[in-house]
Amino acid sequence: MSNKRKSYSLMLAMLLAVTLVVSACGSKSNNESNGSANGGDASEPATELIWYTIGAPQKDLALVNEEINKYTKEKINATVDIKMIDYGDYTQKMQVMAASGEPMDILFTSSWAFDYVQNARKGAFMEIDELLEKYGQGIKETLNPAFLEGSKVDGHNYGIPANKELPAQEVWRFNDELLKKYNLDIKSVRSMESLEPLLKTVKENEPEVTPLALVKDFMPLMPFDYVIEKLPMAVYLDTKDYKVVNIFETPELKSALDTMRKYYQAGYISPEVATTTTVEDLNKSGRWLADRATTQPFAENLWSASYGHPVSTTPAGDAYIFNWSVMGSMQAISANSEHPEKAMEFLNLLNTDPVLRNMVDSGIEGVHYEKIGDNRMKNLPDAGNYDMPTFALGNIMLTYLNENDPEDKWEVFKEFNESGIDAPLLGFNFDATKVSKEIAAVQNVKEEYWASLMTGTVDPEDYIAKANEKFKAAGLDTVIAEVQAQLDAWRAANHK
Amino acid sequence: MKMLGGFFKDVVKNKVLLFMVLPGALWFLFFSYIPMLGTVIAFKEYRFSRDGFWASIVNSKWVGLDNFQFLFSTNDAYVITRNTLLYNVAFIVIGLVLSVVMAVVLSELVNKKLAKIYQTGMFLPYFLSWVIVGYFAFSFLSSQRGMLNQVFSYFGWESVQWYSDPKFWPYIIIFVYLWKAVGYNSVVYLASIMGIDKSLYEAAMIDGANKWQQIRSITIPMLSPIITIMTLLAVGKIFYADFGLFYQVPRDSGTLYSVTNVIDTYVYRGLKTTGEIGMSTAAGLYQSLVGFALVITSNAIVRKFNRDGALF
Repeated sequence: MSNKRKSYSLMLAMLLAVTLVVSACGSKSNNESNGSANGGDASEPATELIWYTIGAPQKDLALVNEEINKYTKEKINATVDIKMIDYGDYTQKMQVMAASGEPMDILFTSSWAFDYVQNARKGAFMEIDELLEKYGQGIKETLNPAFLEGSKVDGHNYGIPANKELPAQEVWRFNDELLKKYNLDIKSVRSMESLEPLLKTVKENEPEVTPLALVKDFMPLMPFDYVIEKLPMAVYLDTKDYKVVNIFETPELKSALDTMRKYYQAGYISPEVATTTTVEDLNKSGRWLADRATTQPFAENLWSASYGHPVSTTPAGDAYIFNWSVMGSMQAISANSEHPEKAMEFLNLLNTDPVLRNMVDSGIEGVHYEKIGDNRMKNLPDAGNYDMPTFALGNIMLTYLNENDPEDKWEVFKEFNESGIDAPLLGFNFDATKVSKEIAAVQNVKEEYWASLMTGTVDPEDYIAKANEKFKAAGLDTVIAEVQAQLDAWRAANHK
Repeated sequence: MKMLGGFFKDVVKNKVLLFMVLPGALWFLFFSYIPMLGTVIAFKEYRFSRDGFWASIVNSKWVGLDNFQFLFSTNDAYVITRNTLLYNVAFIVIGLVLSVVMAVVLSELVNKKLAKIYQTGMFLPYFLSWVIVGYFAFSFLSSQRGMLNQVFSYFGWESVQWYSDPKFWPYIIIFVYLWKAVGYNSVVYLASIMGIDKSLYEAAMIDGANKWQQIRSITIPMLSPIITIMTLLAVGKIFYADFGLFYQVPRDSGTLYSVTNVIDTYVYRGLKTTGEIGMSTAAGLYQSLVGFALVITSNAIVRKFNRDGALF
């Protein structure tokens, strides 16, 4: 018997050991080296910069990184070690790394990942006013001044915005195949309500299609400029008195949610929308009719290419320049950088030098792409091994055109940027430190009610009041009062 | 001096045993005791300093108990504390009963091959990640294509919107937890059942005890020390909710928060956007303190009734 007993305790011990080892391995940080390439010789030490940026890590990154370093070493005697962190992990990992003082020089930040304003205030980034003056003249020349102006925090710059589309314009996107099949006209569509006849036709004739393909982050378009995205403090877009309102007390919210509820009950929206995080599968299989997205010039071409069927659009609102659209993609210099000057020189080069910019973006000529014109390129089969997020890596107007892009692509971008209307809160950045515990509590209420209300999953008749009550209990009124005070001070200082 | 000499004598005498303890002691030192210094962040408004982590801690300003306030600023504090405690009590009680029953049943199975198969089968879910378990649950509960709703529609019943109706979730959560955890715990009990001296059973059989009497008078009493230890350990964690269970399985559905929001998910949601490290440290410290108090109390109670059963 003792034999059996021994074998059991042995098994148990081994299991525990295995569990320990496995969990220890799992928690080991995986931010270690992805091949820090240096193309330097020992005689003349080049500065090595560490650059964290967003996007899925690429197979050929080390290869391209080496090529980049050869070029930058020659130009500014510096090399970079590019480290990529995937979209879903970026905010959290960077928060931990910045807090623990991990060595880094340049890092991606934005309004939607590793929040720029908050982290600038916490001291994660270096203030770059002077550096920009000294080493960043090229950036100042190429960038639309609204970018640098709009991304100031308390009067200072902490990051270099990418030169790209400046305003945000919402459009309705449609699956063109279904539009053609049922002869639907999108010219008359603009408001949420005007969509209904189209949704109805498709719902009746195509049971397999989700007419309005939404995810849980969806929010009806309402005429507000939000103080913090997805929290209920806002001013009206056409505000004259800059009064901060609680959107849960506005008629606009009520009517928008009534429409959503109607669509939800009619089955135009998936019953699971409140927990749906992606509709990529519907988009790619063509089983959708409409959704809403933020556009940029020629976005239809990108969407059509990625879904494999034509996509057409019609505006859902005007093009406004919001804080978040200005700060949609930025590169900042870390507060603990040991080489801030070199980092700025590198950023200047990245935003002005087409050779470097395209190398970072598309890889090595002859391996990942080939040039088929002065500023036009074609992907080679290996391009899949180096597929970088163009918008995140500085001035996009330096990148080569793709095969099918129109010659005047960047001109159209510039026109689009000129056409944007300044949103009322452009340039105002709320400092939440005084009310951070209220914000944390409000955030929790928002998580509870937001998705189910905004997607029509629950009845707005009861839930608007319920949510509002909880928001107030969490301290929303205190937050609004604080916002109003800061906003009034800002108005006075900026003569708005 | 004398004491020091005694200490060294002790070390020399027990060098082999102490050497065997060393890896574990180091592990605790590096992964439990040194990180404990970080709890000081809970009382600070953490701001980055360019000279690294320690400099950041030193330079951040003291804010007293401010970081703890957000936990108690709404009636959410009540909801999340209630959910955390009640679910864990349910897990401990039901989990204990089921695991012990399973272990006893498995040990009594005559066909040992089959017993192994059952045991492995029950053990397997323990190693699945909550993300995967969440998708298993989703394949049953999805309102459009879920197995349950398909069955309902076959019988002509009305389909249920599982992910937006809180009333089912206490049962679903408990069921899913048990499905995942019972197998593992029952192996622990099974191992100690195997360790019970078989002559006890032989003697009982000679005295004419039937199976049920043997289980009641031998197996359960012999198991009681390990049951006490396992329960004490579980009580210590009663303030910690299994994040994956409460976040992944309900698919983060807002309408279910009243029954699925626990301290861990609450803190996560509140902080994932604000990124205030001070507040998350405060919440962690609060959890640890309450857990610590609970272990001490329950251990004291156990000591009172059964000295040998207590942990320390």
